[in-house]
This record gives sequence, structure tokens and C-alpha cells, in this order.
Amino acid sequence: MTLYIIRRVLWGILLLILVTALIFLLFRILPTGDPARLRAGHNASPKVIADLRVDLGLNKSLPEQFWIYMKNVFLHFNLGYSYYSSAPVRGLIAERFGATLSLMLGGTVIWLAVGLPVGILSALRRGSRLDRLSMGAALVFVSAPEYWLGLIALYLFAADIGRVKIFPGAGSYVSLTSDPWKWCTSLLLPWLVLAAGSAAIYARLMRGSLSETMQEDYIRTARAKGLSERRVVLHHGVRAAINPILTILALDIATLLGGAILVEVVFNIQGIGDLAYTAIRHSDLLVVQGTVLLGALFIVVANIVVDVAYAYLDPRVRFS
Amino acid sequence: MISPTRKLCSVALAGAFALGLAACGSSGNGSVSGASGIAVAPGVQTPRTQAQSGGKRGGTLTVLNHTDFEQLDPGLSYYNIDYEVVDTTQRALFSYKPNSFSEPVPDMASEPAKISGDGRTITIHIRKGVHFSPPVNREVTSADVAYAIERGANPNVGNPYFEAYFKSLVGFKQATGGPFPGITTPNPSTIVFHLAEAKAPIVLAALVLPLSAPVPEEYAKRYDAMKPTQYGNYQVATGPYMLQNDSAGKVLGIGYVPGKSATLVRNPNWSAATDFRPAYLNRIDIKLGGDTTVIGRQVLEGSDMVQNETPAQPIVRLAYEKFRPQLELSPGAGDHYIAVNNKQGPFANVDVRKALWAALDRTAMNKARGGELVTNVMTHFIYPEIPGFEEAGGLKGPQVDYNDYPDGNAAVAAKYMKLAGYPSGKYTGGKTLEIVGGNESPDNEDAEIVNQTLKNLGFQTKLTLVEVSVMYEKYCGTPAEEIDVCPNVGWVADFGDPQAVLDVAFNGKNIVSTGNNNWGQVNNPEINKAMEAAELLVGTQARANAWAQVDRKLVAQAAAIPFDWDKQPNIESKDVAGVGDLWNTGQWDYSFTSLK
Repeated sequence: MTLYIIRRVLWGILLLILVTALIFLLFRILPTGDPARLRAGHNASPKVIADLRVDLGLNKSLPEQFWIYMKNVFLHFNLGYSYYSSAPVRGLIAERFGATLSLMLGGTVIWLAVGLPVGILSALRRGSRLDRLSMGAALVFVSAPEYWLGLIALYLFAADIGRVKIFPGAGSYVSLTSDPWKWCTSLLLPWLVLAAGSAAIYARLMRGSLSETMQEDYIRTARAKGLSERRVVLHHGVRAAINPILTILALDIATLLGGAILVEVVFNIQGIGDLAYTAIRHSDLLVVQGTVLLGALFIVVANIVVDVAYAYLDPRVRFS
Repeated sequence: MISPTRKLCSVALAGAFALGLAACGSSGNGSVSGASGIAVAPGVQTPRTQAQSGGKRGGTLTVLNHTDFEQLDPGLSYYNIDYEVVDTTQRALFSYKPNSFSEPVPDMASEPAKISGDGRTITIHIRKGVHFSPPVNREVTSADVAYAIERGANPNVGNPYFEAYFKSLVGFKQATGGPFPGITTPNPSTIVFHLAEAKAPIVLAALVLPLSAPVPEEYAKRYDAMKPTQYGNYQVATGPYMLQNDSAGKVLGIGYVPGKSATLVRNPNWSAATDFRPAYLNRIDIKLGGDTTVIGRQVLEGSDMVQNETPAQPIVRLAYEKFRPQLELSPGAGDHYIAVNNKQGPFANVDVRKALWAALDRTAMNKARGGELVTNVMTHFIYPEIPGFEEAGGLKGPQVDYNDYPDGNAAVAAKYMKLAGYPSGKYTGGKTLEIVGGNESPDNEDAEIVNQTLKNLGFQTKLTLVEVSVMYEKYCGTPAEEIDVCPNVGWVADFGDPQAVLDVAFNGKNIVSTGNNNWGQVNNPEINKAMEAAELLVGTQARANAWAQVDRKLVAQAAAIPFDWDKQPNIESKDVAGVGDLWNTGQWDYSFTSLK
């Protein structure tokens, strides 16, 4: 098992290096991606730009630049400097990570708390009115774009511009450490919007997976043994059906940690997604590069976690 | 060559101007703002109509801005949105009052500047009793102003307009951020500018820019030694407000959190006796980010708030229809025109240029930008509120047949195509025109109108739409790309002088290989000569007359095809007595704005 984990981690590191290289190359060939031009600012003369190219080491060969870049990223976690924000990229990301983490945690709890029970009930009562209603609602929420849903939620329920003033409006987010109560209330609406689509997907997934599992022979055996239906469903059915969902959950969490762009923008929560969105709009490429790299890191880590968890649950994986 | 003018920030302005004509009032029934004769819809404020005194003291103003600042260092800031903070924290040698874009008043200077008879020396006395904010605290001297301007040449600072306006200073080429012979300070209250050429007017005019706001050398030098300078993150103030900082002067993460917020608090060392700004507010909380339609509604329906950038187009419509007293429109907020390649291709022929001018439906172009509520049909190049606007023809513009039809006139266009050597009145030269425009509304809509107009004139075209910064940097600002038509370039002057509108955009000497702002590569010896002469004139009226003549020559040559003079919309909550800066596209001035 240890060897397997080491192997997966090494593959993960290699993958991360490849992703970093790809990002590096991509941002060097974009038409607006010249860091010297970005640093030089508006209307800079060709001479100023040329001097800056030397200062920033852009006159060096591409492999040399890549080596310096990799050293900075992996040895010093130095992601460069945002000329748009006049601040180090690492600081900008660190400053915003708490908001994204808060959004992700609450959203995940809500979509699991809603999506899984609805999926289980639908699976157990297939074809019932409850099943049709919940799956119909799920279809609506899956189809509703997050940005649109966010705007509608604000126009309906925000305390400032809403018709029914229930939740704090956009821009009301405060950090957990500064005011826990306000943190919670300001995130309620964003959590619900973020969770709506995912809860719907998870409900449908759970329903499908559990329906299939409940047809298995061992479920019939469990019932024949005289186990209570509750025990059959939760201990035998759900336990088996939830495996593929956990895999997707890990990847969803990793993606969200890289930034829930739409929800962050519409609710004005300054997280990683909002940072990336702003950076893209202003061609602040070192920030874009940093946020993309962060997203890639979480995806790679999530994949390793899933692989290891699978290996733990199913010994065939680690011996294959 | 560095441009002395700002390209219109199309991304910010463009979206907001795309307002349906249905929402617009008739200019004939509107109130007139200022000397320009530009009308705004009834019931809408302009910077000319707002009271600059008698506001209520105290309170916190909340500002909701979707867009983050670019640079808050006075040596670097260059965009309108940056000026809203810098103008309230820093005091340049001269400044405009909110309702003026032509008559600067002494600010850090104690009295008007003295220009020597030969136009080569400018002497300015510094106001006494002005102190830097903590942690510097000491009184400002002329050496602080000298250092502020000198640091513009420091490569770590890289001021965007230092070369354009200060290159006539003696020893300019040797300047690298430290003292040079062009600036001397004979005593702590006097600064003298020594010029190698008699170009005092333009140097003096540029002293309204934030580069002339004092910077304490002993404090700033360590930050200016960093690549890039970190002074902006540790800046001190001379104005009534300062970015909140810690005891070491650090602003980053405290008074300014990139992409999140900026907090302006009172500068404890500011003395009202030394300033014309009333500074009613106690504090200004600027929140950054968010969806523009959401923050626009929050401002209109909330209290104690303003949005200090162009609101989203549905919000401007909403404000006009339901919250009209909370809407401000500021004339003289820049222009848009079509740059055509004067150097080569079909548009090297003046009659082809005139044909396009005559054929273009400028009303339709402006409708895409919001119609009469936020635009006027552009008929020449000096725009409203800039001296020389009336002298160059005012709203109606020069009376030439290709300028007489805002909706376009095919017969006049055909006449000029025939004069250009195309007997059928249609282009038959076989060249496919390269057109590069912006890909966001309304730039893309305007580009399509231009494309169709050119097709109607017989041209084959290849239209490419790209992100607006790419349009400027990679295509329209790079002559080697040989673009024939840039259908939506825009212009905002750095200060209220006609030279700041015309020189870089149309003077042949300013054509450079990259970052070129003379997009049409206009290089007419007669016009260049007229500009050289106009540049040397002293006195607002004399300069207005001379540059108006340049403007008329540009129209006679159809050097570019003008279509839009912008009126910038701004919004506030009902309990805010906002005062907008005419010189800064009407953006709210925190030093004059108060709460009701």
C-alpha cells in the first residue's frame, strides 16, 4: 500500500510539473501576455519595454526562463507579481482563499445534506409522486445557470434589492474570524445557489446508483437474513452506492477550491474565482497563471486522494 | 514616444453607453451644461449644476465599484478610476475645481505660475502649511515636488506621460529618477522648471497631473529602489483624505486590498485653511467587485452610496426612467472615431476618406452607444468642454457637405468616390480592407455598421473583432500590421487643453512602431506645422483659436471619421449630494460630495 501511495504521489508531481510547463508555455505565446508590456504600463516606449525585458529576465532563453519559473514556483512558492494589483500573486491568493474555502464548505454540506437524502428517497420510491417531483425539481436546478440563479435569488430575497428581504445582499461577506454570525448569514444565499445545481446532480446520481445497488443479490440476501429495511438500505445499499459519488465529490471539491467564479462574482465574494475572473478581464496573466496552477494542484491532489481511497476500499486496484 | 493622452477605456465605457434610444430625452428640450452647449435630458444632474458648498459634514460614503484600481501611486496613476482616489489624497501643483475642465487653480502652488518672456522658464511658489500624512508628518517643500516629478523618469516607476510632457526640460535625456538640471529648487518654497525649448504652456498644463503631487524623498526612496516601486503601497497623502495605513505607512492590505476594497479616512495633518476642497465626509469605504447590474441597483435603491464608474446599461436606463434625480450626465467625457490608414491603401486618398465620412450613419453608430442620452454626433475633433471646441465649429461642426448628414448620404459619398477616381461612385480597386474592431458591445455593433458602410461603397472587407486591448496593442497601435480601418478608437484628454486632444492622435512626428496612438498614421506636413506653431502659444484663448484651426484642417483632410462625443453617466443614492468632476468624466469627487 505504501509503495502504491508513493507511486501515485510521484505521478501526481510529474503531472503537476507538466501542467505547470503547459501553463508557462501557453502564457508566453498569448498576444497580450508579455510581462514586460504589462509591467511597463500605458504608452510605454519601446526602450522602456526593452529595458524591462532584461530586468525581468525575458531576454533569456525559454528553457532558462522555464527553469527559473519552476524554481520559483516549487522551491519558493513564488507565483510572481501582479502589475495590475501591485502586489505579489501569492499574497493575493492567500488573501482570498478563506472566502473560497468558506463558500465551498457550506455549499458542499448543503448539497450533500439535500441531494443524498432526496436521491435515496427517490430510489426507494421509484415512480412515486415524491420521486417524480424531486427529479423534476432536480432537472430544473441542473438546467438553471448558476449566474442567472444567483441574480434571481438576489432580486427576490436580498435584504437590499430583493422583493422579499430575507438574506443579506451581494457584497455583505465578512470573514469567519471577524464576525462568525455575519459570516454565516452572508453566505446563506450563496451557499444555497451554489448547492442548488450540485444537489440536483447528486440526487440524480444517488438515485441511479442506489436503484441499481438495491437490485443486487446481496441486498436480497440481507433482507432474507431478516435485517431491518433501514439497516439494509443504509448499511448495505447506500454504503455500496455511494462509492462513485465520493469520487465525483472529491473532484468537485477540488474544482471549487480553484474558485467558484460565477457565484463569487454575482455575490461579490472576493475569492479565488473572482480573482481569476478579474485577472482574465485585465490580462493580468501572472494572476491567471497562479489561479490556474492552484486549481490544477487541487485537482491533482484530489485525484491522488481518490486513487488511494479506492485502493484502500478495493485491494485489486493496488495490485493491478 | 509616449502618448500624452489616454485612450478611452472602451471596456468600461462602451457597455454602459449601449442604451436604447427609447430612454433618451430630446436634446432640444434638455438643460444646457456649460459653455459647450451640450444638452442633457431634463431632470438629470451635470457637474455644472451641482452645489460645491453648503454640504453636511460627517458620515461615511460607501462606493460600489465593479472595477479595481490600476495604480494609486501618484507617479503612476493614469485612469479616471484611479484619479477618483488620487485626486482626494494628493495635491498636484494645480487642480481643476469640479465644474471646470479649462481653468486650473493653484493647489500645491500658492499662486499662478510665472512664465519667463522667452517661454523657457516656469517659476512656481509652493503653498506653506501643507503637511504630509503620517508617518512622515513634516511640512511639504519644493524639493518634494521636484522629487515627485523626477521619479517619473525612474524606470522602477515608469510614469506613462513623463516623456510626453516633460521632454522639453533641460537634461531630460539624462533623467533616471534623481535630480537633473531641468528642475531646480532655489529655496524650500520655490520650484523652477528650465526648458530647452519654448514649450512652457504644455509643461504648465501637465502640472495638473498627479505626477506633480509632492513625494517625500527620504521616505519614498527605499520603495522607489524596488522593482517595481512599492511607494504606492506605502504612500503618504497631502490631500484631505488618505488611504488607511499602519504606523509604518503600509497601505497594502489595510487601506487598499487589491480587488476587494479601499478605505479613505481623514488625513489628520490636512488643514482646511490651505485647501479649496470642503472635505465633508469622514470616511469613504470603497468596495470592489460584483455584478454591475446588482451594484447599480444597490446604489439606486440603497442609501449613502455611489457607483464611481460607468454603470451597466440597464442601470442607466433604470436610473433615467425611475431615479432621474440620482443620475448625473457629464459632457466632455471623450470621443470615438474611426481611424483610417492615411499612409497607404485606399484611404491614402482624401476623397475616399470623405466618402466614408459622408456615407456613415453616425446616428446609428451612436444609437448602439445609447443614443442622445449619452452621446452627441461628433462633427470635428476637439470635444466639448475643451477650449477650442466652439472655435472649431461647436456642436454642428464645420459646414462641409460630407459633415452635413449625421444619418449618412449616399449621393455625397458617391460624389467623393468619383472625385477619388472611381467613376461609378463605388470602389473598384480590388483591395480587401483589413478592419479590426473591439469584440464587446457596442464596439462590435459599431464595427458591423462600418463594415456594412464600406461594403456599400464597393469595398471587399475582412472584419476581425478582438478584445479591445488587443485591438489597440497588437493591431491598431502597430503600424506594421497595416490595418486599414479601426472602427472604434476613443480618446480622453489628460487635461483641458486642445493639444492634449489633437497632438498625439494626429501629429506625424508621434507615429511610433509600437504603442502608436496616431492610429491613422496621419502625417500631413501642413497640419504638423500648424501644430508646432500652436504648441508654443501662451494663453487659453490664443491656444483655443490656434488648435481650432488645426481641427478645421483635420476635418478638411478627413484625417479620421468622427462619430461620437460621450456624455458619461454616473449614479448615486437618493441621500447623497454628489459632486462630479467635469475634468474626470463626471466621476464623483469625494472631497466635495456629502451626505444629505
